[in-house]
Amino acid sequence: MKRFLQILFYCCSLFLLASCSEDDDLGSIEDIPGLGGDTWVEGPLDKWLYDTLTKPYNIAVKYKWDQFEFELNKTLVPPKEDKVIPVMSAIKKVWIDNYIDEAGLTFFKKYSPKFFILSGSASWNENGTITLGTAEGGRKVVLYLLNDFRTKDMPGYEPADSANVKQMFHVIEHEFGHILHQTVMYPQEFKEISTGYYTGNWNNISDLEARQDGFVTAYAMSAYDEDFVEMISMMLVEGKEGFDRIVNSIPPGSSINGMSRADAQARLRQKEAMVVEYFKSVWDIDFYSLQTKTRNTIEQLLY
Amino acid sequence: MKKHLIYLSLVIAIFSACEKEDDPVFDQSPDERLNETLTMYQGELTGAPYGWKAMVFPAGMPNSVFSFYMKFNGSNRVSMFSDFDAESSTTLQESSYRLKALQQPSLLFDTYSYLHVLCDPDAGVNGGAYGKGLYSDFEFALDSISGDTIHLTGRFNKSKAYLVKATQEEAQEYMSLERNREFEHITQFLTYFKRLTVGGTQYELTVNPYAHVIGFTWVDDKGEKQQDVVGFYYTPNGIAFAPAFTDGKNTITGLQDITWDAEGQIMSFTVDDASAMISGFAKPLVVDTAAPKRWWNKGQSMEYWVSTTGFHANGVDDAFNITSLPSYYFLTFWPTYAGTSYDILIFVTVVDNTLVPSYGPAFRAPRFTADGRIIFPYSDDRGTYPPGPAPVHNTRNQLADAAGYYLVQVNQDQYDMVSAKDGKAWITWVR
Repeated sequence: MKRFLQILFYCCSLFLLASCSEDDDLGSIEDIPGLGGDTWVEGPLDKWLYDTLTKPYNIAVKYKWDQFEFELNKTLVPPKEDKVIPVMSAIKKVWIDNYIDEAGLTFFKKYSPKFFILSGSASWNENGTITLGTAEGGRKVVLYLLNDFRTKDMPGYEPADSANVKQMFHVIEHEFGHILHQTVMYPQEFKEISTGYYTGNWNNISDLEARQDGFVTAYAMSAYDEDFVEMISMMLVEGKEGFDRIVNSIPPGSSINGMSRADAQARLRQKEAMVVEYFKSVWDIDFYSLQTKTRNTIEQLLY
Repeated sequence: MKKHLIYLSLVIAIFSACEKEDDPVFDQSPDERLNETLTMYQGELTGAPYGWKAMVFPAGMPNSVFSFYMKFNGSNRVSMFSDFDAESSTTLQESSYRLKALQQPSLLFDTYSYLHVLCDPDAGVNGGAYGKGLYSDFEFALDSISGDTIHLTGRFNKSKAYLVKATQEEAQEYMSLERNREFEHITQFLTYFKRLTVGGTQYELTVNPYAHVIGFTWVDDKGEKQQDVVGFYYTPNGIAFAPAFTDGKNTITGLQDITWDAEGQIMSFTVDDASAMISGFAKPLVVDTAAPKRWWNKGQSMEYWVSTTGFHANGVDDAFNITSLPSYYFLTFWPTYAGTSYDILIFVTVVDNTLVPSYGPAFRAPRFTADGRIIFPYSDDRGTYPPGPAPVHNTRNQLADAAGYYLVQVNQDQYDMVSAKDGKAWITWVR
């Protein structure tokens, strides 16, 4: 035992001495490359973005490539520089200006997402579909397929391009809708309109089939929240007339799930009424007025 | 106790006597060295007075190479030409670049340029795979610099690339838009087989003009068939091979001053100042005599072969216009159809969203000749031909041609079947 204590004693003194501090010189720490973010010589495009979006609304737009803003395993390409201003000014006209017009500058500054990331190509998924927009945490919005963006005053515009442009607005209105309901929740009754029809299998369902079940798009079938913001987004982008057309396009007869045409239409109308009421009571926004303005701006860009 | 104290002081003496000073391997901190490296590369890139020639070898395309001309300035801007197509080779385009310390010092091309055309996941842009493009890169790690060359490796797909300082003469050629893309007419030869004749030796060529790849087939001194594949890129007066092609006897670095004679079906040029040419042939240089049987057996083992557009003849794809047939989906060849002794060339149609083997001519068992041809003896027509059956009749008559066909195995899943009559009609079979 005594022997053991002795060994322990030597060991302890050994540790004490060996663990003494060493002075490490960290070297020069004033100039760490890349600290503080990427820098480059700013050009006219950087100035336009700063003056148009960053200064007035505190919105940053990242158009230069940074793989870490995207899914790391995806093959994507950066946007063409000459597409950035057309896209961002269209977004300003369709989304920013109209919301400010209806709800005021303070409302917009308070709730708008603050960070736009741009990709030139679409994001291709394993199942052959493509993603045209994503959003994270009410702050960051990623827009894809900028390189195919064409409005009617750009060379080479074809009517088919309008789908792509509308999709971009759809993404933004959709994500902004999420920010709104995550700030103040919509009434519980909305969730009860289509209870039992929500499904994770939405990506195998066509929009027409979804409409026969009383959903505005197939994606709306994925969850209550998506249903709510898809309603907002579709109604704003398609306009009142467009939405009516969607409701009226439901064919007679019943859906695969046995829902009648009248039932599906009634549900869509019920959802419409709740969205309008939500905008009025929670945000004091006249939804139909916002809808008219938004649709008018889109039509000016496209038709 | 005294003994203990002696031991203890010994221990103290040993451990406190060691030198605590670290001697760093480098005399500067990592950040200082990183900054130095980035500044060095930045200086090199912008300092080259006549810009840079760049070669990019897309990782997803074996042997493929594309060439670029780049001029970097000090404000993160780069101007480019590319040999991807006629437009990009004569339209200078400006985009953005920057050097960044990632895991390695890296050169990023951070807005869309000709370089990104190869990476675009929209296959409609570059003919690659949907979602992947040509598996090329636009973010490169700066591997090393030696002499006039900077070596790069793509960060995403690991494509190899290098930059070489351009000479004053090369820069002038690029800027004066001197280009020779006559080699693109290689697709306009009426015959399937094409041979390059250089100094008395013949090389059969298979060219993929989209991937910038050329395959060489030749017969060596021992009479044996040899094959090699190299990439090619366009130069101001023709094409260059990367790497240079060599068979031990001839080394060919490229074809210069190319001209194309559509009437005479001859492409003329010089190779190292000696005139040479490519001309069309009806027969392969080396006949793969076992190929017909191999093709037929493989077709039988997997039921059928598929062709989407049928025969190419006399320079026209889908020469018999079979894609215009009502509800046409694709053409198939079924050796010993459904266990019978007949081979049937079946036209598959879509009826109510279902594929239906609708109609087509039947053939008796094929004849395999000693010189490597396959001949299809026509028997009778099966099923009901649609109104306006000319495309079916013409395809049937073509297949039944008495001279028969050579078969060329392109890869494991693809054979090209070439008319032995004149080499001007062929059909591609895939599975």
